[in-house]
Amino acid sequence: MGLFLGRSIILLLGLFALPTLLGDFWAYQLGLYFLYSIAALGVGICWGQAGFLPLGQAMFLGIGAYLSGFSLIHFQDSFLLLLLLPAAALIPGFIAFVIGLLVFRGHLESGPFFALITLALSLLTFQIATNWVDVTGGFNGLGGIPSLPGLEGFESLYYVVAAVLTISIGVVAWIIKAPIGVIWRGISENEKRLTFFGYDTAFLKALAFGISGVLGGVAGVLYAPHQGLVTPNLAGFILSAELLIWTAVGGRKTLFGPVIGAILVGSLTAELRDVIPIWELMVAALFIFVVLFLPDGIAGWPERLFQRVLGRRFSGDEVNLAVKIGQKSPELELASCSLSIGTVDILNQLSFRIAQPGIYCLIGPNGAGKTSTFNAITGAVKTQAGSINLDDESISGFQSHDVAMRGIGRKFQVPSILPNLTISENLRTALWGGRCSLMDLFHYTPLNWTNTINTDLKERFPFLIEENKPAKELSHGEKQVLELSMSLLGEPRLLLLDEPCAGLSSEETDKVIDTIRWIRSTFDSTILVIEHDMTLVKDIADQVIVMHQGAVLAIGGVKDIQKDSRVREVYVGVSI
Amino acid sequence: MDPIAVTIALNIIYEITTLFVIVLGLAIVFGLLKVMNLAHGEFIMVGAYAAYFCQDQGWPYIMAIPFALFIAAILGYLIEFTLIRHLYRRPFDTLLVTWGLSFLLREVIELVYGKGFQSLSNPIPGSIDVLGEPYPSYRALVMVIAILSVLVLWVWYRRSLTGARVKAMVENPELARAVGIRVDNLARHTFVVGTCFGALAGVMLAPLTRVEPFMGLDYILTSFFVLVVGGVGTILGLSSGAGVIGGVQSVVSNLFGETSGYFGVLLIAILFLWLKPNGLISRS
Amino acid sequence: MLNGKKTSRRTVLKATLGGAALAAAPGLIKYANAASDFKIGLFIPLSGPAALFGPSAKNCGELAIDEVNKSGGVLGRQAKLYIADAGVPPAEAAKSAVRLMLRDKVDLIVGNHDSAVRQAIVGAVKGKIPYVYSPVYEGGECSPNVFMLGETPQQQLMPAIDHFAKTKGVKSYYLIGNDYVWPRVTNKLAKKYIAAAGGNVVGEEYIPFGPANKFESAVTRIKSAKPDLVVITLVGGDNVNFNRTFAEFGLDKNISRVASLLEENTLMGVGAESSGNLYSSMAYFANIESAENKAFVSSYKAKFGAKAPVLNTLAESNYAGIIFGAALTNKTGSTNAAKLAATAEGLTVSTPTGAVTMRNRHTDKNMYLAKCNGTQFKIAKVFNKVPSGQTCT
Repeated sequence: MGLFLGRSIILLLGLFALPTLLGDFWAYQLGLYFLYSIAALGVGICWGQAGFLPLGQAMFLGIGAYLSGFSLIHFQDSFLLLLLLPAAALIPGFIAFVIGLLVFRGHLESGPFFALITLALSLLTFQIATNWVDVTGGFNGLGGIPSLPGLEGFESLYYVVAAVLTISIGVVAWIIKAPIGVIWRGISENEKRLTFFGYDTAFLKALAFGISGVLGGVAGVLYAPHQGLVTPNLAGFILSAELLIWTAVGGRKTLFGPVIGAILVGSLTAELRDVIPIWELMVAALFIFVVLFLPDGIAGWPERLFQRVLGRRFSGDEVNLAVKIGQKSPELELASCSLSIGTVDILNQLSFRIAQPGIYCLIGPNGAGKTSTFNAITGAVKTQAGSINLDDESISGFQSHDVAMRGIGRKFQVPSILPNLTISENLRTALWGGRCSLMDLFHYTPLNWTNTINTDLKERFPFLIEENKPAKELSHGEKQVLELSMSLLGEPRLLLLDEPCAGLSSEETDKVIDTIRWIRSTFDSTILVIEHDMTLVKDIADQVIVMHQGAVLAIGGVKDIQKDSRVREVYVGVSI
Repeated sequence: MDPIAVTIALNIIYEITTLFVIVLGLAIVFGLLKVMNLAHGEFIMVGAYAAYFCQDQGWPYIMAIPFALFIAAILGYLIEFTLIRHLYRRPFDTLLVTWGLSFLLREVIELVYGKGFQSLSNPIPGSIDVLGEPYPSYRALVMVIAILSVLVLWVWYRRSLTGARVKAMVENPELARAVGIRVDNLARHTFVVGTCFGALAGVMLAPLTRVEPFMGLDYILTSFFVLVVGGVGTILGLSSGAGVIGGVQSVVSNLFGETSGYFGVLLIAILFLWLKPNGLISRS
Repeated sequence: MLNGKKTSRRTVLKATLGGAALAAAPGLIKYANAASDFKIGLFIPLSGPAALFGPSAKNCGELAIDEVNKSGGVLGRQAKLYIADAGVPPAEAAKSAVRLMLRDKVDLIVGNHDSAVRQAIVGAVKGKIPYVYSPVYEGGECSPNVFMLGETPQQQLMPAIDHFAKTKGVKSYYLIGNDYVWPRVTNKLAKKYIAAAGGNVVGEEYIPFGPANKFESAVTRIKSAKPDLVVITLVGGDNVNFNRTFAEFGLDKNISRVASLLEENTLMGVGAESSGNLYSSMAYFANIESAENKAFVSSYKAKFGAKAPVLNTLAESNYAGIIFGAALTNKTGSTNAAKLAATAEGLTVSTPTGAVTMRNRHTDKNMYLAKCNGTQFKIAKVFNKVPSGQTCT
């Protein structure tokens, strides 16, 4: 914390020294690009961290600037400004948050549709600003905006802008290193996985968009007095596009990338545009080059290099969390659940009930609907008929994260991890799921959280100790184990494992089975396992559920199932 | 029949059919390859400039068609080879790269022809009678060609082997590769077909509009809106998208003025993107 | 990660300082060499939609500087041009203005761009140096130390509408323009002149400014409204598209059109087939038959060759702006704002469009009504010394 403040103060002093070194004009020019880079920081959060592309970010700058302009014109020198200007910065953030929530709730993926919506919204804002002449001054702009009270001329405003930029960088630095930053990067990697840990990803993405909106708003609030004029262009597509170029060239995934991009590309463009006739062509080519070959931008390489050399360091004592498993065994009941896609029945009046802790193996031939059963329970698909109850509460129609929050964890058949995050980030993401409050996500303390399962898992699987290794560098077996560990860390009351041993060596299989047993015995949990390997089933199952054609064929102990004639019919030629 | 009503009706049909022609190339590339080609408008521009080149050489207008196809095919091939093929599974990156590409193409045309307006003379001046009302003949021809191309394309896509292969590639590239379809080549050809349709649209529309380096920007946004509203992957979807966007534009403009028409299009597009991102009619 | 941050900060500082030093160097060299020049900052559109006028505007700027220097410079000093791009967003233009003012220390700014950029420049310069704004605009600018050379709606339309009413018996008018300040202000005044000329407005509509527009619906509405004259305040590409569609629907044969911003390049886009009965009302056309213009055109061709970018009103206004600014400064003997304002009132300067006289910081000037003949203009009527109707004090 002390170090953090210290660095911010050094940065601030450096920025304050610039006008003396470079002269008035650069104070003015840099002031403007500092403003843009505040907005670009927001683009970095959305695109570099949370993984969705905002194509209309200038809209928030524009809204903030108009609001700030009105306030300064109509309440010049009034104390109300102390309220109005912060409000002018927060309102764009609120708008962004609401837009984000509405859109992301509608569809989970962050694909190009969101980008196009923001683009259309920014065009809309531009047209409204152009046509609503009485309020905005129309195309010619809202002019005659006075400077901030007591700060005449752009020289003095420079210091305000530099201070706000430093604060913004500090805040963003804090945020992206806090748990929320890890979660955002996780969302951009594998959003679905995070919903099954209990994260309301739509909300968290909206939050990222909201914060970027505030940063845009802050830039806008300062832009109005800096320029004395707000025109519709400010909200339009061109500036939005430039913010994107700057962020991409600087390095969208880095903290300083957007800032460096805005200041460097921005001021070089201003200087060279009139000198080099093909400047725009060069910027376009550079942009393509960066997108293709330098996804981390200019700032990416140095930032990574220094990370390598100096390593990372987390201080503070580990906080051991109380274990919650075993508090109450779940009662799960599926009653006549049906699901069909087109003319194919996937689930057909599926009913079963699990009330006692234990290991339940779900078996059945391919296409019996085993994975679909998991999907139905976890809210990944909606059944068309029937109901799913957990502890007397109907959870059918719930979203995946709501189901997860009720203590149902899931491991997928193909290991679903966060490939570009480190092992420790993968594990933390799972550990935080369902435990972090919104406030915790912005705090550093969860970085030190651990629990006994975590410690134990690291003893069982030593590769988990290599904290800083990106998860994508793990072998297939290790990925399986990593995902299994992640689904255990959430301490679910009901754990759904989809072929946890697929593709594992026999040694690894033994360890995994041992782990499952350990969880079962230590925490008295309920575990539902899809498994094809009958030897394994015989080995671990307390109960076996046999599925066939989307319905339950038989339930019972291993011995009963082996005797069941219907089961033998389905498994012709297979020895069970 | 009220003569003005006839003209208004024809205008709406013209609006919709030209939208269809404009979007076609984009729909092929976006629908089949999932490449959001923001440089599509620039291929339309290239087509228009190809037509201008032909006029400048004193060639008959019909010559512009093969010439534009030739240029667009070469360009499309080069661009697919150097840029696009690296990006088939990186949707944001294609969006950004093609956007950068649109700058490049504009700048290149500007270096050759300058920033000024070029004017193409109307290959079929005069007008024909539609229900007793005169209507510009070239426009009428454009409409007919547009409607015919819908039909031809529909039949081809349904019946032809290539159509089936493209469908296979889209549904499951792995499987398509496994059954011996050369997915890389097919993707490249598909992209080139998309750019060629863009250039053809340029040739068709050049005599009706301004021709200058920035003209591509006119088309790209509405094109995406049409795709979004209509839904990707079917010709029916494409037509209904063109119908809704063109219809809203024309009807709202006629009732409340052109600015409201533009607002209407933006709002419809936002609503669809938000609430019905797969559009009116989508495959699967 | 915490450690990575420090280094990045260093990187940003180094990068910024390095970039700054690199970029500031040419400025420093300029200081050293040219302390005694009279520096004129010239804003012309080099990028953006108006960039098409960039090359001709730049040529005209250089030509004007040559001529000013040939006749002894400004205040006994050699005039020197500092060009800045005006085709950028207002904030960027304001920044260039500050750069010209603080770093290059220009003595005078001449600008040719839209009103949004003008407001930004006025806001940045704050009257500290004189600023000559040269293109056609809607009127209403009265900020201190700003001088307007361009024609106002009154100059463009009052005599022209009167002329159409009297000589061609025009009675009904249709107004179409882009949806922003200039067309709306122009049409508001046009309606007054139409009423004064005894005509009536049968339709008025605005097309959004910014997106791509099509004009089938508008042309159909005009067709059913059957006006005698369409008054056009569309700009750029919209102006081209509208006029092409208009002619394609065959309306050009019976309905006349007069445009307020139709110059040589736009007419090229409209094309010969679509320019029947199309008029343009402006203060300058490249083929005005006056001694001043002939001299101007021939020196332009002599300097830049026969294939130089075509002359047009926006380019000419740059030339006029520099000539005017130099004459004003020379006559005043300094660039003191109060003295300039005093000298400006009543100052007459000869420009290619004819002699212009400044009143209320706008100019009385000759206006021309030209009829399109293919892709050429043919002057149909000259109105001498039309007042601007502006009342700045």
